[in-house]
Amino acid sequence: MEIKVKCNCGVEKCPEWAILELQGVVESQPSIANQIQGLEIGRLCCSSSASSLVNYTFTVGYHELSGTKVSLKKPLLVLKKKKAVQEEGSDSNNDLELEVIGVIRHKILFKGRPKALISKPQVKDKKASDK
Amino acid sequence: MHNGILIQWVSKAVRAITSAQTEALAILEGLKLLSELANGEGLVLSDSLDIQATTPNITDWRAFSEIWQSWKLRVESQGKCRAPDPSPLCCVVLIKSNTAGNVQTEMEMPTAEELEWLETHSLLTDEEEEQQQQEEEEDEQSQSQSPNPIPNPNINNPNPNPRSSKRAREEQEEAPCGNSKDEDEEWLRYSPPPPSSPQPPTKRKHNTAISISRFASDIRGDCFPITGPHGQRVYAKLNPNPNPTTLSQHSPSATAPGLLPQSIHTLSEQVEKNAFSKALQDSIESTNGDQAEAETIATEQLWVDKYAPSSFTELLSDEHTNREVLLWLKQWDSLVFGSHLRATSDDVLSALRMHSSVTQSSKFASNRRFFSKHHGGVSLNDQNVRSPIETSKSNGPHASWSNKCLVDKPPEQKVLLLCGPPGLGKTTLAHVAAKHCGYRVVEINASDDRSASSIETKILDVVQMNSVMPDSKPKCLVIDEIDGALGDGKGAVEVILKMVAADRKGSSEKRDVGEEAQAQAQPRKASSKKGHKVAKLSRPIICICNDLYAPALRQLRQVAKVHTFMQPTVSRVVNRLKYICTKEGFRTNSIALSALAECTECDIRSCLNTLQFLNKKKQPLSIADVDSQVIGRKDMSKSAIDIWKEVFHRKKSKRVRNSVDGQVGRGDDTTQHLYSLISSRGEYELTMDGIHENFLRLSYHDPMMHKTVRCLDMLGTSDFLIRYVYKTQQMSIHAYQPSIAVSMSRLIAQVEKPNIEWPKSFQRCRAMLVEKQETLKTWQRRITPSISRHLSIESFVQDVASPFLHIITPPNLRPVALNLLSEREKDELHQLVDTMVSYSLTYKYSKADPQEKMQKLFADTSEDLPLSLDPPISDFVNFKGYQSQYFALSLATKQILVHEVEQQQILQENRPKHEDRTKDNPRPVVPHRLTNANADADAGKNEKEEMVGFDEELRLKAAPSRTVGPTLAPHKSSRSNSTDFFHRFRKESSSNPQTENARTGKAATTKRDSRPLLFKYNEGFTNAVKRPVKIRDLLL
Repeated sequence: MEIKVKCNCGVEKCPEWAILELQGVVESQPSIANQIQGLEIGRLCCSSSASSLVNYTFTVGYHELSGTKVSLKKPLLVLKKKKAVQEEGSDSNNDLELEVIGVIRHKILFKGRPKALISKPQVKDKKASDK
Repeated sequence: MHNGILIQWVSKAVRAITSAQTEALAILEGLKLLSELANGEGLVLSDSLDIQATTPNITDWRAFSEIWQSWKLRVESQGKCRAPDPSPLCCVVLIKSNTAGNVQTEMEMPTAEELEWLETHSLLTDEEEEQQQQEEEEDEQSQSQSPNPIPNPNINNPNPNPRSSKRAREEQEEAPCGNSKDEDEEWLRYSPPPPSSPQPPTKRKHNTAISISRFASDIRGDCFPITGPHGQRVYAKLNPNPNPTTLSQHSPSATAPGLLPQSIHTLSEQVEKNAFSKALQDSIESTNGDQAEAETIATEQLWVDKYAPSSFTELLSDEHTNREVLLWLKQWDSLVFGSHLRATSDDVLSALRMHSSVTQSSKFASNRRFFSKHHGGVSLNDQNVRSPIETSKSNGPHASWSNKCLVDKPPEQKVLLLCGPPGLGKTTLAHVAAKHCGYRVVEINASDDRSASSIETKILDVVQMNSVMPDSKPKCLVIDEIDGALGDGKGAVEVILKMVAADRKGSSEKRDVGEEAQAQAQPRKASSKKGHKVAKLSRPIICICNDLYAPALRQLRQVAKVHTFMQPTVSRVVNRLKYICTKEGFRTNSIALSALAECTECDIRSCLNTLQFLNKKKQPLSIADVDSQVIGRKDMSKSAIDIWKEVFHRKKSKRVRNSVDGQVGRGDDTTQHLYSLISSRGEYELTMDGIHENFLRLSYHDPMMHKTVRCLDMLGTSDFLIRYVYKTQQMSIHAYQPSIAVSMSRLIAQVEKPNIEWPKSFQRCRAMLVEKQETLKTWQRRITPSISRHLSIESFVQDVASPFLHIITPPNLRPVALNLLSEREKDELHQLVDTMVSYSLTYKYSKADPQEKMQKLFADTSEDLPLSLDPPISDFVNFKGYQSQYFALSLATKQILVHEVEQQQILQENRPKHEDRTKDNPRPVVPHRLTNANADADAGKNEKEEMVGFDEELRLKAAPSRTVGPTLAPHKSSRSNSTDFFHRFRKESSSNPQTENARTGKAATTKRDSRPLLFKYNEGFTNAVKRPVKIRDLLL
């Protein structure tokens, strides 16, 4: 089956994406339940150190993760499924169109144990009781 | 004049040369030194230092040797001689004022012999001490001599004779080297010890007070510590500038060389020439002397070797054993010599017959006769080796004694193991018998390398190789003292075992070959065997050991033919000893000899060595000697069994002799003997164990049990000691163990031969203990933690087990169907079942043997498969002769119980996990629970089920009446309340998540915007086994 991939931008200009790989799960607070739209997951910072090893810190909730940038063995393509504009003579089946949004060549891997950012003891209690 | 003296001395030295070479060399060297020093020249001496010397007993004439050595030392200090070790010279000076005084007085009167002796031995003194002393001496000498005018030396010697004048010459000779001596002093860099010459005693004393003291504080200026050979320490003053007067005194004599009429060179040449000729002469003489020595050594051969039995007939050991060994060796003939039928040669036969019939008195006379005959036999055997068939034919008709079936095949046991105490002639028998049968004996001794690999090659060499020499006999391997070294001896044993095992296989193959073809097949097989079977035994091996029951020999004992040597009768040994004594011309009497033989336990080797020793000392053997230390006893440790025998067996003969002799000390002697025996054995635990197990079998007279009580008391002490030693590792306390055994022996020893058994009960009991502990532990693990945490297995056995057995075997349980039971009975049954389930007890069809006791206890029925408790609790409290008081359940009851228990177990397993708590509630042992049938556990469960809202109709069906619950006694409700309390608490906390969340949520909402999402770290996995145990399982 032929899949058409459409790319609006050029090869070089294709926006670069990145994967965040976490050892763990990002959960919502039990009080929020499923209303997670529009919420900030966390803050990703890139330490602009001169060395080649760029350190990334990712702050989720009261945890701070530190990770490194790892290049993927095989780059991934981020595609967007689109309803194709009906052209004349085309099959009704072939109304799907895949648009390239970005290329993923790197991932930022957070494999370490998170560091707790405890500002108030209250927070910790809550976390403990939650567990 | 001086020349004359020197020559006189030289001639004396020449005379001394004849005594021994080394002494001569010493004197020669002394002469050389003298001459060289007199000439003011150094001489490199080296060979004098190579003279190895024994330490002669120089006490009186030490001074002379020291004078002599001081010269030598001086030469060494000048660096012209290879000094043996200069370091001790420069730091240690011996101060021995009293010795010095003695020396001085004795120095004054030297006799010719003493002088000569001293001169010859001067080099042979012990170096270190001598050098320490000689320094002192040297100084003494120089200082004492220096005041004397040289032309008048006889002032020193009150009785002038040629010798003493010669000595004066000696001293005079020393004088020229005064400057060298001063150099020596400078080299030493400290002041010499004070002169101790007898002429100015006051001066000497004065000097001593100043420069030498036992205390460093007494000495002004620098001091130097000096340690004498006997440990005394003194301090000597350091004198920075040596005495100039000594120098000046010596200096005139330094110009002395002109005194000699001849030049010293000609003199020394003369001396050397003399020395050369003497050395030549000496070397010739010494070779003669060696020969003479060899001859004397030959005459001084050990009696043991001299009178060792050289023929079979002379053997002193038990005739039966001798013949058995010989027969065994003969059985090898077919294999080794290839002769099918090789009978005992005629003369051997006759010798044997006569040997057995010979009376003791005429034995030695006849022995000689046999000996001559035996030589014929040996030659015959040699012929046999070459032409076996021929001899077998010739000997065939006479072979009445040899049984053919035995001769036909190699013996069943390929290895012969001779064992017995030392000195009974095991090795001799092996050698003699092997020689007698025409073998060449190859002995591997304890002194040989006995590692497994080396011994294997050795054995293989012996067993499989044939010498290339035409007249070689086949070899017979004798491994002596195979039990000697455990680790190494084991190598030999293993190799032999391997070969025997290989042979076993081979022999099973061999049986297929027809018997009639065996005669022709033998040689072929022998050759083929060598070809393909590497490790096969084709030569006899005789192993000799002292202790048959050594652990290393355990396996060998099973495959080998074992012969234990018995002690020959005392009379036999005594006769032999007497014969030897008369031959050697040693005066003795038979009483002393028998005492000797008895003392050494018929160890003829030890007897003979003792006799020879006494003979050498020209002492007659008397009974007193026997008891004294004259006899060298072999330091041997007897086996444990022997020790027990000694402990339990009172020697009657000794007792009798005691009374006869009237000696009080004799009893102490036996005690001493026993003590040393036990302490040399060393394994006190085993020894005491054996005594403990065996002493009650003795039939000692003890109507009031006093002795038994005392013995047991002593054993208790011993056990206490052993425990203490193990605890504190103070092995020295073991020293008290033999005395305990000895005192027990004094209490209970009997004249009758004790019947000793190896103690096994300790091991058995320990094994049983371990086993039972293991059973208990596994059982404890099976019990739910809530119960087992209260149950330590030790205290269970000690306290609870017996009552527990009473509980689980209620007497009033009727073996009827369940529905026939009354409510009360049902209740009881259920209580019992519950107890059993909670303690994970059940009845099992016993199969194993150890549970036979259980069968007798539990099952009075005649069923073939009786039921017994699964963890055999009654075993833990059972002992021999114990009649348990609890009721033995009938088989039917047990079957009911088994069924019920199984049902209950299944029910419990089916219960969901979180409901396991119900198990906690019914405290099974508590008897006050009054639930009805089935309801016991279920009632509790029901409550839970109601609360949790679990529907378990399946189980509830089994419970006939749920309504019984409310009618229960009030304490039940209280109990349920109590559980409800916890339960409610729990439920509340867990069942109200909404409120909980609402409460916590309020706080959280404030943070929601800031931290709406949380990160939950995923832990990795481990392989560790984690088993959740709820706390509530441990509670209650």
